[in-house]
Amino acid sequence: MQTDRHLQSAGRAPGRSINYRRRAEIFRWLHRAVILAGSLAVMLVVLSPVAWLVSSSFQNEAEIVSVPPHWIPDQPTLKNFKAIFAATGDETVTYETRNKQDPASGDYIPSTAGNLLPAMANSFIVATLVVILNLLVGIPAAYAMAKIRFYGRNGSIYFILTTRVIPDIALVVPFFLVIKNLGLLDHILSLVITYLAITVPFTVFILIQYFEGLPDELDKAARVDGCSRFQSLTRVFLPLAMPSLVAVILFAFLTSWNEFLLALMFTQTAASQTLPIVLASFTSDFTISFSFINAAGLLAIVPPVIVAIVFERYIVSGLTAGAVKG
Amino acid sequence: MARILFENATKRYPNGFVALENLNLEIKDKEFVVLLGPSGCGKSTTLNMIAGLEEISDGNLFFDDENVNFTPPHHRDVAMVFQSYALYPHKTVYENIAFGLMMRKHPKDDIDRRVRDAAERLEITHLLERRPSQLSGGQRQRVALGRAMVRQPAVFLMDEPLSNLDAALRISMRAEIKELHRSMQTTFVYVTHDQAEALTLADRIVVMKDGVVQQIGTPDEIYEHPANMFVASFLGNPPINYLEGVLQVEGDKVEFLRGDTRLAFPADRAKALLDMNGRKVKLGIRAEDVDERAEAADGEVVAGTVTSVMPVGSDQFLGLKVEGEELFFRVNKDLRHDYGDRIRLSANTARLHVFDAETEASLIG
Repeated sequence: MQTDRHLQSAGRAPGRSINYRRRAEIFRWLHRAVILAGSLAVMLVVLSPVAWLVSSSFQNEAEIVSVPPHWIPDQPTLKNFKAIFAATGDETVTYETRNKQDPASGDYIPSTAGNLLPAMANSFIVATLVVILNLLVGIPAAYAMAKIRFYGRNGSIYFILTTRVIPDIALVVPFFLVIKNLGLLDHILSLVITYLAITVPFTVFILIQYFEGLPDELDKAARVDGCSRFQSLTRVFLPLAMPSLVAVILFAFLTSWNEFLLALMFTQTAASQTLPIVLASFTSDFTISFSFINAAGLLAIVPPVIVAIVFERYIVSGLTAGAVKG
Repeated sequence: MARILFENATKRYPNGFVALENLNLEIKDKEFVVLLGPSGCGKSTTLNMIAGLEEISDGNLFFDDENVNFTPPHHRDVAMVFQSYALYPHKTVYENIAFGLMMRKHPKDDIDRRVRDAAERLEITHLLERRPSQLSGGQRQRVALGRAMVRQPAVFLMDEPLSNLDAALRISMRAEIKELHRSMQTTFVYVTHDQAEALTLADRIVVMKDGVVQQIGTPDEIYEHPANMFVASFLGNPPINYLEGVLQVEGDKVEFLRGDTRLAFPADRAKALLDMNGRKVKLGIRAEDVDERAEAADGEVVAGTVTSVMPVGSDQFLGLKVEGEELFFRVNKDLRHDYGDRIRLSANTARLHVFDAETEASLIG
């Protein structure tokens, strides 16, 4: 005990001993507390808009504008959702029919409410097609560039990367001309084609990085073991590349689901409009119903959230896998 | 059963780099051939060409009498073991070993029997359900061997299979690979940069440098009669010593002269040198070809000052300054020496090597 204290105070002014064990404990708790507080703050910033979106979609128009806002609805209502699922989309809207409705009481739905579900279906079809085609094109392309030596290999990788630095807006007019000449205006294929142009380079880039990180010898071993190039890809590389595939699936799906600019250019009617376009149109109606828009917004985030939950366990490793080799 | 024949085989890469130049090599059926050389000498390229993983730019490659220049790897009857093992991380040990047979559509019960046989031989039966990440380096190496073994291939290729193992394991695995070759009765081609591995394992060694074969021969031939200075330097530990000087021929007596050092060649070595009076040569003395305790007769003496003493357990390496050059010898460890001691060693002149100073080629066969 004597020597303990002696050791503890070594190098310090005589008479003052410091309890390092206690100090270490305090620091440890402090450390945890700071991290916890930090995480809570970040969570608050990230989740509060979502919380408000969920809460307000169950409120009527009067409650939504009340001050202070009600985080938990006083009179929860499913009216907005009913309107979305019951709307036919073929009511004629005139100033007179609008005028009878009372925006303050919320007894009113936008004229284009009926477009919401078809738009969601469009979005889903487009996003799914884009994901599938991305994988079909991206996987063989990335495997070839990562594992096969051929003339112009580096050139093609740089070329593919270059297409990513061009802002989408610069491509709108050329895209429009191509789509128009193909006769695909107001058709969801126009979106599939243009979204592929945007997403495939990134997909190829992520997958190249990942495939390059997988040792060449695995490829050689597989081929000596009796695999053709294609079998080596499907039997050995794809199972190992799962995290990067998930990252690619998520990226392609979310990009297509959220895309606004190109969809605005190429779609005109409910036949091809996607969710972002229809959602945005609710804000340009005669009157704006915030509770209805929020209900629609809530529906819009459900599919991406489901996709994210399904692939959750792969996401983190997948997103970092593309960034750092290995 | 396969004889492998390279005929003027050349490998050129798209960037113009020539990895292998004009290789002519016949590997006999059931032979154990080791390709030996420093990294970048083309030995792995040669192996990959046999496997079909690299195309041949020029020349021909035959398995028995069949030209396989364009046969893809999965249609050649070869198995390969890699330096990094290259086990499939997402498959269990069992699946790893079975994969090659599965791809070749063997019946299930046959696969199972072969996998278990191989596992038993390699003493890895208890590991069959594990994944590669749960194994040690030595165990992974065994799985890689097992994966190649079960296929019972006509040609067994190994690309530095022991380089990632620690020293003790490496030596015991060497013995196992030799035993494997004996029992499998098939052609082995083995790539390494480790001269000790090459000397212990090979029926014949192919020494390569910069894509060109330097010498092909049995381990003894390569060690005792190196074709040039590169081959001589590559084998032996510590490496062979060189001393530059001139030859002096008087009648049928040939001597090497350098300063005060004068070494006389015995008659059989001298024969090839008789017409080379005054030729500038490099004399090669292997580290172990000296004897300190023997009484050095005239014409056998290498004298110098001790510059370093490095005990290596069984014996010791001695650095010796001879004629201004530092040479290393392996001598008995019981002999105590200190820095600066002046000592005389008796050289075994029957084992001296003589190389042309310009071309570096051996002057005695």
